Amino acid sequence: MKIGLEIHVQLPTKSKLFCPCPTTDAPAPNTHVCPVCLGFPGARPMMNRKAIEYGILLAKMLGCTIRDTTWFARKIYFYPDNAKNFQITQYDRPLGEKGMYYLNGKKPIRITRIHIEEDPGKIKRVGDLSSLVDYNRSGVPLAEIVTEPDLSTPAEAREFLGQLIRDIRHTIDIPDDGERSIRCDCNISVGIERCEVKNVTGLKNVERALTYELVRQTKLLKAGGKVVRETRRFDEERGVTISVRKKEMEADYGYIDEPDLGIFNVKELTERLKIGESPQNMILRLSKEYGIDEKTAKQFVSTSVELAHLFEELAAATDTETARTWTSGAVSAGWKSFEARGGGDAAEVVSLIGKFKAGEITDTECNIRIRAFLTGTDVDEVRSGSADLDSIISEYLDVNPSVIEDYRKNERAANRVIGHVMKRTGGACSSAEIVDATKRLIEERL
Amino acid sequence: MDRETVEKVARSAHLKLTEEELETFSRDLSDILGYFALLDEAPDCENFGIDPIDVADVLRDDEPHMEIDPDKLLEGMDTYNNYVRGPRLL
Amino acid sequence: MIETSILSSLSKINEKYQMFRTITSDTEAGDAEFLFSAKDNLTSKDMETCSGSKILEGYRPPFDATSIARMRGAGGLLVGKTNMDEFGFGTFSTNSAFGVPRNPYDPERSCGGSSGGAACAAAVMDGHVAIGVSTGGSICCPASFCGVYGIVPTYGRVSRYGLLDYGNSLDKIGIISAKASDLGKYVNIMAGADPRDPTSCMQPDMGARRKLKSVAVPKDATEGVSEDVRMAFTDGLETLESLGVDVDTVEMPSLKYAIPAYYVIATSEASTNLARYCGMRYGHQKGDLSLKFDDYFTSFRSQYFGQEAKRRILLGTFTRMVGFRDRYYSKARMVRQSIIGEYRSVLRECDAVLTPTMPFVSPKFSDISKMTPLESYKADILTGPPNIAGMPHASVPCGYDRNGMPIGMQLVADQWDEGVLFSAAEEWEKTFESVRPEVSI
Repeated sequence: MKIGLEIHVQLPTKSKLFCPCPTTDAPAPNTHVCPVCLGFPGARPMMNRKAIEYGILLAKMLGCTIRDTTWFARKIYFYPDNAKNFQITQYDRPLGEKGMYYLNGKKPIRITRIHIEEDPGKIKRVGDLSSLVDYNRSGVPLAEIVTEPDLSTPAEAREFLGQLIRDIRHTIDIPDDGERSIRCDCNISVGIERCEVKNVTGLKNVERALTYELVRQTKLLKAGGKVVRETRRFDEERGVTISVRKKEMEADYGYIDEPDLGIFNVKELTERLKIGESPQNMILRLSKEYGIDEKTAKQFVSTSVELAHLFEELAAATDTETARTWTSGAVSAGWKSFEARGGGDAAEVVSLIGKFKAGEITDTECNIRIRAFLTGTDVDEVRSGSADLDSIISEYLDVNPSVIEDYRKNERAANRVIGHVMKRTGGACSSAEIVDATKRLIEERL
Repeated sequence: MDRETVEKVARSAHLKLTEEELETFSRDLSDILGYFALLDEAPDCENFGIDPIDVADVLRDDEPHMEIDPDKLLEGMDTYNNYVRGPRLL
Repeated sequence: MIETSILSSLSKINEKYQMFRTITSDTEAGDAEFLFSAKDNLTSKDMETCSGSKILEGYRPPFDATSIARMRGAGGLLVGKTNMDEFGFGTFSTNSAFGVPRNPYDPERSCGGSSGGAACAAAVMDGHVAIGVSTGGSICCPASFCGVYGIVPTYGRVSRYGLLDYGNSLDKIGIISAKASDLGKYVNIMAGADPRDPTSCMQPDMGARRKLKSVAVPKDATEGVSEDVRMAFTDGLETLESLGVDVDTVEMPSLKYAIPAYYVIATSEASTNLARYCGMRYGHQKGDLSLKFDDYFTSFRSQYFGQEAKRRILLGTFTRMVGFRDRYYSKARMVRQSIIGEYRSVLRECDAVLTPTMPFVSPKFSDISKMTPLESYKADILTGPPNIAGMPHASVPCGYDRNGMPIGMQLVADQWDEGVLFSAAEEWEKTFESVRPEVSI
């Protein structure tokens, strides 16, 4: 089985690709529109610098060849949401070509190309009578990433998408706003001929649509049938794909180059723009460099790249084991709250753990002070809360000694305390904090 | 250009031609394309710029603003609850 | 201050010549410093803009074209929108959905196209300045047929914001007037970078005016040109020589490819520009929305586009189709670069390339109706080359045929070198005596 994806990612610009209309949520349909994105006669596109920059960053992240000059083209197709009945996209000279992405750092997935294009508007279906169009989305910048058919299973496609999207978000700083903003065209073939499932939204649906196609095509071939080359769409509610049109009915897009924008010499920009390490590469490096398991590394990086950086600082200041224990424990427990308050310099944490290592403060005291620092709470308050927490957990352990026994076999046994303590503290402590304290108290008793 | 090709091109361009138009356009376009064959003899050129002058790196800063009141833009349009009305999809 | 009497007689003038599609309702010029008109493919907030097409009937744009805004800003009063071939598709202004402008020298003859109404207004109305638009000859052709001066600046000199596109890499906004000095004056008002049209943002400053010292005439310049035109052109050359201008003959072998290359690029681009006209958003919209979208769009386009628009949409759709794109669209763009290269090398040695403007004087409507589309395309044989190359060019009147119909000649300068054309036209006006048409209303 061969799977190739065409992934559409919205670029996080403040204004649209070719006009200054805002890209933020609009108060009502057709309120973030202007003559350019409505395709009014006489209005013409003006290129957003930031969109080109984001495109180059992604092309670099994907290891694409970026040629010195890039330009745009018109793709002509008639549709009510397509304001000009042509879409400005890239054809002969996309921003990047021939890249490579390593799934789990190992399996190479070839990237055919990455280009920038404008999104069409959105259609609200209203039965059979007419369509209603909202052009607020018209002209929002997208990057389209096209892969070679190098993915082997629906699950692998989902895993690839998940990693790729995390890396994309990190590279161009897109806030995590759920899976919905990712749209995919999925190409899948079990035998020789392939089908394309258009416009699937979200990771889960990509896996579902591909699985449905896998089963459908396999059955068809087993029964002696033939898969025809066609475009299908995915019905999210029913979980099935439906044929939209056969290959021979495909429109001839009749591409021409877009004369209104001119060309873009991106050599200098490409040299100037630097990308940091991608999250996926960071996970692999942490695990290799520090000898921690991939799961832990992934946990750090997924929580935040900054947390992973702190782990590295700690490891340098103390040792890997100390760094791992504290980062997974008290630091992870307070990190969300630290970032919610704006994050920033966490050198204090390194210094506290250094003091503990030097025997200047106790394990418990270190814990309390880290929590106080990260959550921005008064130390005494944390101390009394922590004492309360400790005593509640201790009481529970006294009554349920089996937890300690089970903990010897599996650390997860500590999780059993959560429900009880949550109830007692009225939700004042996070589950991470509770588990962290429980582990510390059990360790003391062992 | 034979009638069949004219019909195919017309379909792609969203034009429905009458019998008479098919006849006329087929004749006219054959005539015109016959003359265009002159292009085949023209020497190739390495350069094939998009515009007759150099237009390069004209970029706009990413600053959102709106100039014309969107309601004004919708004035001449067939709308329903601020949506633009269009034809049926399926 | 200007005479306001003309405003009250506009509709009478128009009844006779049909040069306007829309006329201002103003009857007082107020403190306006000059009156001007704009071709109907330039958007104007206060007037309908249809580009000569039925499909846009009733369309009132929400913004002014930059060219119009700058003319207003300089004290101009927009008196009307001039009639034209639908979307600029024509050489005789006979392809308008809203009547045909009449030649001021002979009402049975064409004003030329596609800015026919503009040239007519410039010829008929004293002191009138007309904004025209040229894609493949649409300013110089009508200027020569109507015996007036016309200038097409370098591609990108005047912002196209607000111009209803024909061919985006070819369209140029210019001026038509009976007075040579208006060319430089008003091009300067409209010119200059405009962020709303990126292709206007690369222009250098307008070059200094410079006396015309030498011209080159392509060897084939008068091949296939009518006897009357040939004679007037030869007279023109002699006059130039007597004024001390060097005249040289040059070989420009790539110019013969200009017309097919021009039509391929122009229609390829046009067929994409016209895709947006489909019965939604602007222009005619009342249709049966329960039709499937393909059928709905098709019904509007088939009903409201004129014959020449359909022909060019078909041609342009074909020349960019898979399997034909390389042969036509890509090749035409190579040819354009060869032509630019050829002009450049000739213009390194001289100030301008000189030819007649049109191969014949304005034909009678009865003869136009007998022409095949290809025959009328070939009428652009001399105006096509500078247009495809984006070179600035001007048409000046240089004589009259036995029936008194005007004849023009065309000067082509290097890109951005409009200065030499401005002064050449003004110098020429001093020696050439125009015969103005008799205007009676």
